[in-house]
This record gives sequence, structure tokens and C-alpha cells, in this order.
Amino acid sequence: MTMQGRELTKLVTRLESGEPLPSELYTHTGKARIIGITGPPGVGKSSLIDLLIDELRKQDKTVGVLAIDPTSPISGGALLGDRLRMQRHSEDGGVFIRSLATRHHHGGLTDSTSQIVHALDTAGFDIVIVETVGTGQDEVEVAEVADTVAVVLMPELGDEIQRAKSGLMEIADVLVMNKTDLQVGVAASVTDANSGRAAGTVATTMAVWQRPTIHTSAKNGEGITTLCGALDAHHAYLVASGNLARRRERAARAEVIRLLQSRMTMSILHALEAPQAQSILTDVAKRKLDPHDAVQKLSKVIWGSNK
Amino acid sequence: MEFALTKGRMNSTRPIKVLIAKAGLDGHERGALVVAMGLRDAGMEVVYTGIRNTPEQIVAAAIQEDVNAIGLSSLSGGHMVQFSRVMELLKKEKLKGVLVFAGGIIPDDDVKKLKKLGIKEVFGPGSTIAGIAEFLRKNVQAK
Repeated sequence: MTMQGRELTKLVTRLESGEPLPSELYTHTGKARIIGITGPPGVGKSSLIDLLIDELRKQDKTVGVLAIDPTSPISGGALLGDRLRMQRHSEDGGVFIRSLATRHHHGGLTDSTSQIVHALDTAGFDIVIVETVGTGQDEVEVAEVADTVAVVLMPELGDEIQRAKSGLMEIADVLVMNKTDLQVGVAASVTDANSGRAAGTVATTMAVWQRPTIHTSAKNGEGITTLCGALDAHHAYLVASGNLARRRERAARAEVIRLLQSRMTMSILHALEAPQAQSILTDVAKRKLDPHDAVQKLSKVIWGSNK
Repeated sequence: MEFALTKGRMNSTRPIKVLIAKAGLDGHERGALVVAMGLRDAGMEVVYTGIRNTPEQIVAAAIQEDVNAIGLSSLSGGHMVQFSRVMELLKKEKLKGVLVFAGGIIPDDDVKKLKKLGIKEVFGPGSTIAGIAEFLRKNVQAK
């Protein structure tokens, strides 16, 4: 690593607070492989990452992990409980784990996730793993940040209609069926998730990626080597097909748009503090003014015109 | 119930970040978990690393997570050995500005010894979440 641990951890804190990554560092990014791990709460994402770290360290790869948990919409606090599944790697100098609270960002990541990924990238980590919050159907932002997305599921989460729905199920480059140690319903679920394709195989050509379903049991340590192989195979496919460059271009564009949105949101929230804006909001609450008319009026207050 | 959603987005100051951990083989997790959830409800970001941490893991986690404070819990009598080692490692790592506090079943004589080692406060049975939160707000150095 080119950046010392202490220096990195302080940089991450600054980025988390909304400070920008020093521009000279950005030019050095693009070396690390970025893997997104997502899926509903409690399916075993953190436990799988704990085991993936073992595999990657066997290959002499250094690993940075960003583990995201939700901020309370009520208190503004957070219980960051992903790290405890991977805590045994804390002393390994080739592993850096950082827990992040969403701080009211929606989409599965945090406002600063991309910037922090860049920081870990410039610090020299070979692999950066981004673990999203426990996601629902529509928190798919990780697909705009990671090169490879693994969606982790478990048995009994739903029937084939759930599989057919848009959102989370579509962004998987690799589907993981964890908790196969739970015997009930495993075979059926795997078929559902994989739309009939054989489970556990990575059959693909360089031109077309066939999304595999990998059986794992984080509890028994099963399927981890296969999962690691599937993630590697997807990366090889991205490189050979030219899709890596395309995906990263998309990620770079999306990052700028997200930063812009975030700045706009902040300026709107500040503008809404004005008494004039507050009285417009009160009128909507009292049903004197409808929400669309309020937006018209507020646009004038904020931007001086009806943009 | 007032939601922190809008206000929280505008608040640029970082919430207090606390690491709550149990060192050694003590498996009594409930107290530490109650404190972790209580501090979450007090608006803090709490990294909870659970039971069976080594002092080395606790200090490494505190560095990587860049926390303002470390809360150590012990109910099995291992506090002198485990907590002393944590304080020793913090000194060795020259980790300044990180407040250390403790809680659990700890005899009065040991409380004095722990405070001498640099543990700022020890919260025994009967302590309140509000009291612990207030203590942290008062004593944590803003980062």
C-alpha cells in the first residue's frame, strides 16, 4: 500500500463528511477491482465477505471493505454491525475494513461511497468490496459503482414472480444462494433464481456473460472457492469483451450526477429554511395549496424562476 | 416523533462514532448490545464488534473505523488483563484523542486502577443510557 493505514483512515473520515478527494489522487484511480455485494438484510453478506477475504488473501491480494448499514431516520444514529462478522481480519495489514452509515442517503450506498472507493483504490488495494445496506427491490445504486455485482439471496424468499420482477434481481452479475445448509426448499429456490440453468457452474464465453448461480453456506464455509471463481470469471469477461471500460465510464458519469444531485438537494434544503418557503410548506400541510403549485412558488423562491 | 431525515442531511458535523466491544472470552453480550442500541438512539454511530475480540483486534478496529470513543464491556472478571492490554496498545499506537470508557461488573478497587490506566469512566449496574450518552457528548473531542 502506498498510503499508510492511519493516513487512509483519516482521509476516509474527511470524505465521509463530504470533503472532496484530493484531485491529484483521482488521476491514480482505476486500478482496483470493485466488487459489490448486495441483497436483503440477514442473507449473510458480511459472513460471505469474511470468507471471501480468506480466499483473496490466499491469492496474495489486498482487500479493502466498505460495509454500509442504515442511519436511523429518527435519531440520526446507526448501529454498524457488519464488521463483527469480519473482525478476525482486523489485524491483517493487507485488509482494511470500514463501516459506513448511510447518513440518510437512499439507494443502498452512502453519499461518499464512490469517493471512498477511490481512496482505497489509490491506497493500493487490489480488490475493493462494497457491501450495501440490506436492500429491498429497488436499491440498485451499487450497479453504478461496482465492476461486478453479486446479489446474495437465501432459500424461501419468494416464488418465480419475485424472480421476474425488475430491480435487484436484474443487477446481479453473479447470483449467490447462501444458507444452503437450510435444507428446506433449496433446490426449488435455486431453479427459480437461475431461471432453469444449472446451478453452481460458470459456463460463459468471452462475448456473452451467462449469469451463474452459486450455492454457498457461509455457516459451513461451502461454495466460497466457486464464488471467488465466478467473480474472477466475470472480471475476465469484462476485460475481454471491452465492457469493463464501458462500465467504468458509466460509473464515472453516474458519480458526477450523484454529487451534483447531492449538492442541489443541500441547496434546496437550505433555501427552504427561509420564512417565505416555510409558509408555502405550511399552506400545503393545511390543504390551502396543492403540492404542484407549491413547487411552482418554491422554484421562484429558490431559483428566481420556474425552472 | 420528529424525524432526523431532513435535519440530518443538512447537519455537516459528524455524529460521535463509538466502538463497542467485548474483549476476551466473556460471552455476556446483552449489556454491551443494550448500550450499543441506546447510543444509536442517542444519535451516535456505533460500530459493534460483539464478543470474543482480542485487545489487538479492538485497537486495529478503532484505527480503521476512526472512532471518537471505545466502550469496553466485561462481566466475567477479565477486565484488568484485557482492558490494561487495550490501553497499552493504544499508547503504543500513539492513538490520541480516543476516549475509552468501560462497563459491566467491575469491583470499586479495580475501577480506581482502571482510571489510573486512562479509562475515563466505568459504568456499573444501574447506569442509564442517557447518562452514558451525556458523558460521551461532554468528553469526546470533536474531530
